[in-house]
Amino acid sequence: MTQPVPQLTEETSIDERIIYLLCDKDKNGISLIFEHYGPFLLNVIKKVIYDDDMAEDVLMNVLLKVWQKFDQFDAEKGSLFSWLVRITKNSSIDKTRTKDFRLTEESRQGPELVNIAEEVSIDDSIDKMYIKQLLDQLPQMHRKLIDMSYFEGFTHKEIAQRLDLPLGTVKTRIRLAIKHLRFIV
Amino acid sequence: MNIKEYINSGILEAYLSGELNEVEMQEVDKLAGIYPVIQLELDELRSSINSYAKSTDQSPPSRILTNALKAIREEEKDRFINEIENSGKEVQFKRVNVVPVWSIAASILLVVSLGFNYIFYTEFKSVKDNYELAVYENENLSASVEQASQELQYASLKVAHFLNEDNIHVRMDGLDVAPESFANVFWNTKTNAVFISVDNLPEPPHGHQYQLWAIKPGLAPIDVGIFDHTQLIQELKVIKGNVQAFAVTLEEEGGSPIATVEKTFVKGFLKKS
Repeated sequence: MTQPVPQLTEETSIDERIIYLLCDKDKNGISLIFEHYGPFLLNVIKKVIYDDDMAEDVLMNVLLKVWQKFDQFDAEKGSLFSWLVRITKNSSIDKTRTKDFRLTEESRQGPELVNIAEEVSIDDSIDKMYIKQLLDQLPQMHRKLIDMSYFEGFTHKEIAQRLDLPLGTVKTRIRLAIKHLRFIV
Repeated sequence: MNIKEYINSGILEAYLSGELNEVEMQEVDKLAGIYPVIQLELDELRSSINSYAKSTDQSPPSRILTNALKAIREEEKDRFINEIENSGKEVQFKRVNVVPVWSIAASILLVVSLGFNYIFYTEFKSVKDNYELAVYENENLSASVEQASQELQYASLKVAHFLNEDNIHVRMDGLDVAPESFANVFWNTKTNAVFISVDNLPEPPHGHQYQLWAIKPGLAPIDVGIFDHTQLIQELKVIKGNVQAFAVTLEEEGGSPIATVEKTFVKGFLKKS
């Protein structure tokens, strides 16, 4: 298992902070995982579990498992993110074997695309609203690709099928979309 | 390896979206470990997507974290209680099975017992030694008492012979062979019994014995009897007639019919009345 970083400094990476805290049995490590990897892990879950509530349950269980099994993490074998994704995939597959999942699956509807404009809530900060305005500059297609790829659990292949685009084009456009996003934010 | 090309291939975006399998992810991890620029690109991509998630309200609801932390606390609480319960059992287990109290008590008793055994054995040995010494001393003392008693008996007998008016007393002094020697003869004029008192005669050589002779004028010495030189007063033969003197010679064991005159140790004449 990875030894804790002796001291946390400004240069300490997010992964190192998380590892340090969890080795020290500090729950703030779980909070940091949720903050920095939560969207990515939920997206991994959504590739398997289409029901939002159920996906959230799985993510909660993933965080609990990370807490329980962190002594099994070995930095020599891969990054923290790879380890988190492995636990998340396993947890998602485990969920599909439950009766709960099968019942939901019967009444499943296809994932809906989120209308960003309708998601503004009254407690949004000024910064957040500013970024929202900036994001309006993103072409609709780019936002759709980012949403599908990073938040709705679609694989590149599924996106290609849904949008009736070649797989290569989907990959290139996702990359362009993120490049554009990085320019804005 | 062309890193720029690698980054532009879109593999890092696929990595973060969970598109890659485990082996492919490990490959990215490996390269990110070697090339910091790849790790930097990954960090920036993650940061951008997170910002986008926050801005578009697509971050996972905070209740997930709240519930997870609640579940962790519950789990910790359960584990804490279990550990307390188990630790109680463990202590009991250890007390009963690993180091039983009776075995500790037995061990202590054994050590104490061994200590007492040693002390008692030492005392016993000391008492036994003392007892043996006492028995030895007692035997010595008994022997001494017996000897003293015998000596007293001889002395009394000798005094009695001296005081007996019927006895003729003849003192025999040492001759050239043993000048320091001396002995006494008491001859009872009524019974004619002869008694010898061995007062000071040297230890006879092996296979030899002292013999008392009565000397009459013109006759060869008359045998009065052999005697034990260790006994002070001994009654010997009855002698009648005109005895002139008594003498002791050293003879072979069992005595001799003829006196070996040259080995006369002591000799004494009767006083003329």
